[in-house]
Amino acid sequence: MTNSSPPNDIRKAWQSQCVEGTPMSIDEIRRKARKFQQKIGRRNLREYIAALVVVVFFSYTLWHDPDTVTRVGFAMIIAGMLYIVYQLHHRGSARSPAAEMGSASWLEFHRRELERQRDLVGSVWSWYLGPMIPGWVVLTVGLARTNPGHLQHVGVSLAVLNLVAALVFVGIWKLNQRAARRLQRRIDELDALQKQE
Amino acid sequence: MAAAESTQDELYQQAAAIYGAALERLARSYEADPEIRRDLLQEIHIGLWRTIEAFDGRCSLRTWVYRVAHNIATSHVMRQRRDNSRTLVGLEELENMPDQQSAPDADRHEALERLAAMIRQLKPLDRQVILSYLEGMDAASIGEITGLSPGNVATKIHRIKAILSRRFQEGA
Repeated sequence: MTNSSPPNDIRKAWQSQCVEGTPMSIDEIRRKARKFQQKIGRRNLREYIAALVVVVFFSYTLWHDPDTVTRVGFAMIIAGMLYIVYQLHHRGSARSPAAEMGSASWLEFHRRELERQRDLVGSVWSWYLGPMIPGWVVLTVGLARTNPGHLQHVGVSLAVLNLVAALVFVGIWKLNQRAARRLQRRIDELDALQKQE
Repeated sequence: MAAAESTQDELYQQAAAIYGAALERLARSYEADPEIRRDLLQEIHIGLWRTIEAFDGRCSLRTWVYRVAHNIATSHVMRQRRDNSRTLVGLEELENMPDQQSAPDADRHEALERLAAMIRQLKPLDRQVILSYLEGMDAASIGEITGLSPGNVATKIHRIKAILSRRFQEGA
C-alpha cells in the first residue's frame, strides 16, 4: 500500500485476501438445513408435550374432585393454558419469514424484528398472565369452600399463596415492560438513523 | 417441486461462486475465532440457500446476498454479546480513539488482520458500511443493503476514509 491513496490500496488488499473457498456442497447444505428444521420441530414438540402433561394432570384432578366450583376452576385453568399454547404457536409462526432477510434492508428487517419482540413482551398480560387469573381465582374459592372445618387455616394459606402468585405475576409483568421499553429505545435509535441525511 | 429445488440450487451456486470469497471476508470481520467463524460461514451459506428461492430480482443478487449475510452475522454478534457483554463502538467513537498505526515494517497480512480486528469493534450498521466500502461498493449500493440514506452513507464513508488513511497510511 502506498501513501498516495491509502483507502483505495486497502480496498484492493482487502479484496485480494486468501480465502478457503465454499465450505459445503449443496447436499451438505440441504442436510444441515433439514437438521435445523428438525431441531426446531423437536423443540416445539417438547413444549407441546410439557403442556399436555399439565393438562392431563389437571383434567385428572378435575374429574376426581367432588366440588363443582373447584372443577370449574381447574377447567378454566386448562382453558387458559390451551390459550397460552395457541398464542405461543400463533406468535411463533408470525415471525418474519426467512426470505425477508434478503428482500428488506438491514434497518427494515431489524426494525420489524424488534417491533415483533416488543409487541410480544409488551402484551404479556393479555396472552400469558391474564388467561390464568380467572381459573386461579375460581380454584382458590373452590378450595376454600371445600374445607369449611378448617376455613381459617386454609384461608390464611390461600392468602399467602395468592400473595406469592400475585408478586410473581407482577414481577414477570414488570420485567417484560422493562424489556419492551428497552426494545422501543432501540427502535427509536434505528428510526433516528433512518431519518439522518 | 424438483424444478424449484433445481432453480434454488443453481441460483445459490451462482451466488456462492461470485460472492463466496466476499462472504468469507465478511465472516472474518464478524468473528475472530477460526472454529466459530467456520460455523458462522456455514450458517450464512445455509441461510443463503434457504432464502434464495424467494429471490425475485427486485434487487440485485449482490444486494440479496449481502443482506442475508449481514442479517445472519448480526444475529451472531448479538448472541456473542449476550455471552461476553463486549462493548461495540460507532465510527464516530472509533475516529476519536487514539491511533494505532501499523509499524513501518508491518506486513500486509498483519495490517489486514488489524483491519479485521478494528471492524469487529464496530456496531453492526457501521460494520456493514465499512465492509461494503472495502468490497468496492458505491454509496447507493450500500444504502440499498443497509437502509441508510445516501447522505448518511456518504458521511460514514468520509469517516471511514479518514480512519483508514490515518491508521493504515504506512507499513500496510
